[in-house]
Amino acid sequence: MPPRVDREKCDGCKAQDEPLCEQVCPGDLMALGEDKKAYCRARRDCWDCMSCVKICPNGAIETRMPYQLGYHVAKLIPMMGTDSITWTCIDINGNVERFRYKNRIEPE
Amino acid sequence: MVKLVPKIGLFLCVAGSRFERNVEVNALAEKLAKAKNVARCEIVKDLQDSTTLDSIKDDVESGRIDRIFWVGRFTAYQIERIKRELAAAGLNVYLQEFCDPEEQGVGLDGIDPDVLTRKAEALIRMSLARTRLLVPLMPEELPASNAVLIVGAGVAGLHAAASLVELGKQVYLVEKESGAGGKVALLSRFYPRLCDPHCGLEFCLDKLSATPLAELHTLSTVVGLEGNPGNFQARILTESRYVRQDLCNGCGVCQAACPVEVPRSADDALERIPQFIKPTLRAIHPAYPLAVPGAFVVERKHCPPDCRECARACPTGAVDLEQAPLETVLDVGAVLVTTGWDPYPISRVAEFGYQRYARVISNLEMEQILGNGHFGTGPQANSSWANIKDIGFVQCVGSRDQRHLAYCSSVCCSATLKQAVHIKERNPEVNCYVFLIDIRAPGFDEDLYLRARNLGVVFNREVPSRVIPDPVTGKLGITVIDPTMNAPLEVSLDLLVLAGGMVPSQGTSEVAQTLNLPQNSYGFFESHYQCHPEESQRTGIYVAGCAREPMKVSHAIESAHLAAMKALRFLEGAIVIEPTYPVVDKKKCDQCKRCMQDCPFSSFVFDEKGFPTPDLARCRQCGNCMGLCPLTAVSLNHTTIKQMAAQVGAVNTSFMGNPEPAILAFLCQNDAYKAARLAVDQGLPVPPNVIFLKVPCAGAVNNALIADALSNGIDGVLIGGCQDGQCHYVKGNQLVQKRSGDLADKLKSMMIEPERVRFESLEIRDSGKYVDLLRSYIAELKAMGPNPFKI
Repeated sequence: MPPRVDREKCDGCKAQDEPLCEQVCPGDLMALGEDKKAYCRARRDCWDCMSCVKICPNGAIETRMPYQLGYHVAKLIPMMGTDSITWTCIDINGNVERFRYKNRIEPE
Repeated sequence: MVKLVPKIGLFLCVAGSRFERNVEVNALAEKLAKAKNVARCEIVKDLQDSTTLDSIKDDVESGRIDRIFWVGRFTAYQIERIKRELAAAGLNVYLQEFCDPEEQGVGLDGIDPDVLTRKAEALIRMSLARTRLLVPLMPEELPASNAVLIVGAGVAGLHAAASLVELGKQVYLVEKESGAGGKVALLSRFYPRLCDPHCGLEFCLDKLSATPLAELHTLSTVVGLEGNPGNFQARILTESRYVRQDLCNGCGVCQAACPVEVPRSADDALERIPQFIKPTLRAIHPAYPLAVPGAFVVERKHCPPDCRECARACPTGAVDLEQAPLETVLDVGAVLVTTGWDPYPISRVAEFGYQRYARVISNLEMEQILGNGHFGTGPQANSSWANIKDIGFVQCVGSRDQRHLAYCSSVCCSATLKQAVHIKERNPEVNCYVFLIDIRAPGFDEDLYLRARNLGVVFNREVPSRVIPDPVTGKLGITVIDPTMNAPLEVSLDLLVLAGGMVPSQGTSEVAQTLNLPQNSYGFFESHYQCHPEESQRTGIYVAGCAREPMKVSHAIESAHLAAMKALRFLEGAIVIEPTYPVVDKKKCDQCKRCMQDCPFSSFVFDEKGFPTPDLARCRQCGNCMGLCPLTAVSLNHTTIKQMAAQVGAVNTSFMGNPEPAILAFLCQNDAYKAARLAVDQGLPVPPNVIFLKVPCAGAVNNALIADALSNGIDGVLIGGCQDGQCHYVKGNQLVQKRSGDLADKLKSMMIEPERVRFESLEIRDSGKYVDLLRSYIAELKAMGPNPFKI
C-alpha cells in the first residue's frame, strides 16, 4: 500500500524542485506539497516497489503492507548498505526474519 | 579493459614491540602470506637496515609488488622517509598503507592473548582489504592569479596591502569613502604609545603610492564575485567623483569658489556645538577621511542646480560634472575583507540624552575634538574651550547590555583612558570623571589606567542613570553613589562623553550579502576564532580587523598581516591541491544537490552536464559530502566509500568470542581518534572490544557504512566526533548526529535496539571519557544481547 511520509523527518530534500522520492518513483507518484513535504499523489497506483523508502536520505518514508498480505504489526523494512540491502520482515504475529542481499554486482 | 591484479607487499615491522609480546607474529605472517593478492609477506627486523629497504625497492622496480602495506608503529618522520624513498623507486605515495594495531590496544597487557591475536588479524585484514583498492594519485596544480582584492582601505586593509605589495603582489584596494584611512583616520591618538594615527596610515600609503602594484579604488563597492579561489572575478562599481584623478592636483581653488557649505555628517558634534567650532566644508572638498587620493570630490547632492562654479574655477580642468559611474572587473586570486566597524547609535541609550543635549557627545566625536587641538593652554587655544573645566565619561554605553549590545567592544575603556590622559596632559586644570562598571584594560593597557589615576582622573564605579541639564547654563547635572564613600557624588559637567561600542559597519553587512559570507549573531563575520581566526568559511576569502570582532588598532593590524599571509597561498600563480579531494560518481549521482546544500564551505558547483562537482580550490577535503550522499555517489580519493566499505566488510565480528560484543567505531581524526590513541598510550584499560576507523571528519561517515557494519554483524557502531561548535569543518558533527539518529529510528522499526548506533563527542584529551563510555556501552550491548545479524 502507498508510502507514508513522516512529516517530521521529511525535509522535502531541502526544497529542491524534485525530491529524491519523486525522481526515483517508477510511476511518478510522489510529489512535493505546498508545505515542501513529499506526499503520494495517487495512492491507489502504488506498486509497493519501495524505491522511495530505500532512497529517502532521512528515513522518512515507510510502506504499509497491503491488508491482503498482512495487517497491523506486519512490516517490511529495507536498510541500504553500500553494496547490499538488508530486509527485515515482520509478520502479523510479530515474528521477525532478516535477509541480506548484495544489490549491486559490479566488476571487481 | 584488463583488470590489474594488485600485488601487495606486506611488511610487519613489529620487532621488539608490545605487539610482538602479545601476538604470535610468525604464525600470523604465515597466515597472511596466503591471503588474497599478497605477493610478498615478511617480518622486517630492522627498518634502519638499508638492505631491507633496498630489497623492497628492487621488488617495486621489477614489478613484483605494486603496493605496500606496512604493519607496525611508525612515527610521522618514519612514514615520511619510507614514502619518500619508495617514491624514488617509482612507487606512488598513495599506494602505501600503514596500520598500527598497537594504537587499537593490541599491545595492552592483561587481556587474553587469543583475543588480541584475533583482533590483530582482523585489523590487518581490514587494512589489507583497503590496500587492494588503493589507486595511485598525483597532486593537482591549478593556475592562480597573483592579485588580491582588499575590501576596505582602513588601517587593516592598508597594512595588509603594504605587506602584500612588498612581496610583489598586485593589490586592489576598494574603499567606499572618497579617501582612504577608515575610522582610524578620525582618531586623534592611538594607544599605547599615544602617537598620531595619521603617521601610521600615511606610512602605509607612502609605500603603496611608491609602487605600480597598488591600485586604490575609492567611492567603490564590490557588487559581485564570481569564479574560484585563485581565479576570482570581482565586479567593482565606482561612483562618480566628478573630479578627474589624473588632472586634479589638490590646489583647492575650487573649494574657494564653491558657494555651498555642507555638514560633515548629520550627527557630527562639530556641527551640533556651533559655539565651539565652525566647520568650513564645501560641496567640493578633499577626499575624506584622509586626503588620499589627492583628488577632490564633489558631493553632488548638495550642489545647487546648474551651478558650475568649481568647474569654472579649476585651473587644470579636472572637474567633470558629467562623470558617469564606472564598473570594472578585477581578476584576483584571493579577497581580504577589512570592512571595519561603525559606532553603535548611542542615541538609542535614551537616558544620556545624546543628540538631545548639545553637551553630550560620543567618544568618536571627542577624538575629533582632541584632533583639532582643543584643551590646550597656550595662546593658540580656542577661548571657547577655556571654560570647559569638568568632563565626564560614561563607559559601556549600550555595551554589555542585553537591551543593546550583549558583548564588550574591548577598546572603549582604553580609549577613554587615553582621552582622559590626553586632556589631563594638555591641561591639568580640567577635571575628568569616569563612570564605569569596571575598567577593562587588558595587558599593558593597564599602564594607561595607572597613568590616568596618577594624573588625578576620578574613577567612580557607578554609571549614572540619567542626566539633568541646567536650563540656564546648559551644564549637565549628574548624581551617582560613590561606592567607596557610600555617599552621593554630585557633579555638574561641561561636557559628557559617551563611550559607545562597536557594531559591524554597514559595509560589512553589504559585503556579507554580496560575497555570501556567514555572519555571527552580532553581525560580525563568522570565524573559527582560535585555529583559523582569519578564515571566513569561504575558501579564498579572508577577514581581518573589526569586521570580525571588536579589536584595538594593534590587533587589527596583526589580524591584517595574518590574513595577508594566509591569502598568499592563492597568490602564487599556482595552487597545489592534495589529490584527496571528493569525486562524484556520475553513474550513480542523480543530481539531488544535497552535497551542494550541505557542504560546509559551499564548494560544489555544477559541471557542464549539471552534475555537482567540487571546486578543488575551495574544498577542504573534510568528506561531509561523502557522508551525506544518499546514493553513496561521492567519495574522497584515498578514503573512498568502497575502500571504507571493504574495511567494514572485512571485520571479523566474532573476534571477541561470545558473548563479548564487538564495536566498530568511526573516529574523527582531529579529536576523537587522538583521544583513543592517547588512552592506549597512557596505558588506560581500554576494552579490546572496539575496532576503530579513522575518518577525516565524523561527518564523512555515510549511513550506508553504518548499515553495512550492522548487517555484517557488528554489535554496536560508535561515531566519535567533536563537541558541538568545535568541529573543524563547521557542522560535520551535527550532520552525522542527525543522520545516525534517523538510522537509529529505522532500527527501532526493524526491531533492533536503536542504541546500537551511538554518537559521542570527544575532545582531544578525553582519553578517560573514551574508556568510560566504551565500558558503559559494552555493558549496554551485553544486556541487549548479540546483534541479530551476527552469524
